[in-house]
Amino acid sequence: MADLEIRDLHVRTEEHEILRGVDLDISRGEIHALMGPNGSGKSTLANTLLGHPTYEISEGTITFKGEDITEAEPHERAKAGLFLAFQYPVSIPGVSVANFLRMAINAKRDEPIQVKEFRTQLQHAIELLDVDKAFTSRHLNDGFSGGEKKRAEILQMAMLAPDIAILDETDSGLDIDALRTVAEGVQRLHDEQGLGALIITHYQRILHYVKPQFVHILMDGRIVLEGGVELVERLEREGYDQIRQEFGATEAGALAAGDGSA
Amino acid sequence: MPERDGASIPDGATPSAAVNGSSPVQAKPGRHREATLYHALAGAGAGDTLAGTGGRSLAELRAAALSAYEALDLPIWRRSGFWTTSLQNLDLDSLAAPAASDPCEVPAVVGRTLPDRARAGRIVQSAGAVVHLELDPELRERGVILCSLEDAFREHAELVEPWFSKRLTIDRNKLEAANAAFWTAGAFLHVPAGVVVEEPFEIVYAIDAPGVAQYGRTLVLGGATSEFRVHEYDLAEDFDGQALHAGAFELYLQDGARCRLSQVQDWGSGEVFDLSTRFVGVGRDAYCHWLPALLGGHLVRQHLELAVSEPGGDMAFRGLFFTEEDEHLDAFVVDLHETGPSGGDLHWRGAATGESRASLEGLIQIDPGAQQTHTYLQIHTMMLSPKARVDAIPSVLVSADDVSASHGGTVGELDETAIFYMQTRGLDRPAAVRVIVEGFFEPLIAELSDEPLEELVRAKVAEKLAAAREDIEAYATSR
Repeated sequence: MADLEIRDLHVRTEEHEILRGVDLDISRGEIHALMGPNGSGKSTLANTLLGHPTYEISEGTITFKGEDITEAEPHERAKAGLFLAFQYPVSIPGVSVANFLRMAINAKRDEPIQVKEFRTQLQHAIELLDVDKAFTSRHLNDGFSGGEKKRAEILQMAMLAPDIAILDETDSGLDIDALRTVAEGVQRLHDEQGLGALIITHYQRILHYVKPQFVHILMDGRIVLEGGVELVERLEREGYDQIRQEFGATEAGALAAGDGSA
Repeated sequence: MPERDGASIPDGATPSAAVNGSSPVQAKPGRHREATLYHALAGAGAGDTLAGTGGRSLAELRAAALSAYEALDLPIWRRSGFWTTSLQNLDLDSLAAPAASDPCEVPAVVGRTLPDRARAGRIVQSAGAVVHLELDPELRERGVILCSLEDAFREHAELVEPWFSKRLTIDRNKLEAANAAFWTAGAFLHVPAGVVVEEPFEIVYAIDAPGVAQYGRTLVLGGATSEFRVHEYDLAEDFDGQALHAGAFELYLQDGARCRLSQVQDWGSGEVFDLSTRFVGVGRDAYCHWLPALLGGHLVRQHLELAVSEPGGDMAFRGLFFTEEDEHLDAFVVDLHETGPSGGDLHWRGAATGESRASLEGLIQIDPGAQQTHTYLQIHTMMLSPKARVDAIPSVLVSADDVSASHGGTVGELDETAIFYMQTRGLDRPAAVRVIVEGFFEPLIAELSDEPLEELVRAKVAEKLAAAREDIEAYATSR
């Protein structure tokens, strides 16, 4: 049994059905890549897994460590060990990175973390992610550059030590140095802490730095292709259109169920 | 001690004679904003003033105020946009004259609220009497004076008379007149030229029971190049029933003086009406950082005016407010530049829960000739419940051409994306809301730059948020 099991997940907003039956298994220690063109439902899946109130699950279940969390509140999922690195991290003015981290860590614990222990952990994470110490006294994401925001996401991930992290287009808008730092951070958390990750991305770039064991391709709300890292290489050569055509030819019925945007 | 029925006060001048050059400011129903009617506070005391200068004595000022008091009805302020601040539900006749209710003990709320910390001095007025007075003996040696204003008139007349009511009027409305006619005890602080004091002077007005009419009167003088902090606390016990605080506060900074003035106002859950005027005058090259934290009261109307009166004066005028339940707050904030070069920087933040209503009208006024003045007003507000309402109304009146003056601000509701973001980090919804609201106020709280005071204001904000929890939840599900 996988740590995170997604079964026949259908998700809609008020107007559209966006996910039309997604099945996915992710366990600790596994790195998965979820790729797909714009509008395929990648971010919807990410947000739904953490319980975003805008998305309504019309069918299917999400099970985490054996518990059905389909209806759980976002903070309950977080406490259980899920994490979402946002595509567009939200700025929280007036709250320093360090204070926010302490609050988030304490939210998962019965007893507040000791100051010394917190400092040690923070120091470790800072080194891992190659950020300036002054960074942690700035207000969270407030006035951060795109790269700083993504580093802050990975810093939070390192400190909160989730079992499974979902990284929603964490690579978008990053220069090559920031991308490398972020990717190496994920890889090290995987290697050191046994992190399981679902890396959601539009491009192949980040996958040069983090090697996924499993690759899934999402189109029109369904996972249409699954495989190993060779899929990334194929995608790089052929692009989404080729796969779409092939997929359209072999799985015409599935496409026909779409809203025609394909 | 004067009684409200005025038996001991000679019947004096008519209200109009007491105005001293300015016309009374009274909004016409439904038409005007405060700013468009605004006349700088011209004062009814010094200049006009007191014995020896051909002006009026304290007794004459009281008498003039009494006439105004008797001639005026309880005030109502209206402006278009369905905003009314009415004192007409105040049952003034049922409130005790100060003398009748003078306590002699420090109300428990004072001990509960004020931080236990090093201080330069403390004066506590409960109802109409001073119940506690202390001053660091070393500072007394150096000429610092902290005492009741009544005592100051007796013992330091030469210091008090040139400044008393220099800029405060006495007859713009019935309760201002009541203050000027009936004030008792009061507070007087004088920091002589060159004296630098690190720890704060604490001035406390407390109401410990319903039925009290408290007429607070504060005068603070900062001598040339003095540096000091003033922390004012306006506090009441939680009680059932009405009480009134009508306050008049003035602070004058002479050449090069620097003052940090903070005010924590929390009138508790009783039906406390607070109608106060506060004036801060900044002299040549002087600086004032003023930060009122208006944290509740049944009905609060404040006229807060900071005037740069001499070249080189500079100021930072901050403020925060947080109303809850059915509270009503009406603040008129004035940034007045009477001469240049001068600087100004106003930054206010307010939030409202429950069915409370808050209005902040901010005015920048640059007088003719106040060249090379640069000032900025920003107002940020946040509504935390569907029935709460916050109005922010900035105005700029400029009569000089070599200046910069502008305003900006934001009106916000809770950001659901930010709440979700924090929830994904394990914070539950109330905790996430708390982070947002505390973060919203934090830039100002940090500017108190005094840890015990910061902690107090943070705690009060957290208290209010906890009390409003259901309300905030309801707001989330209603959208």
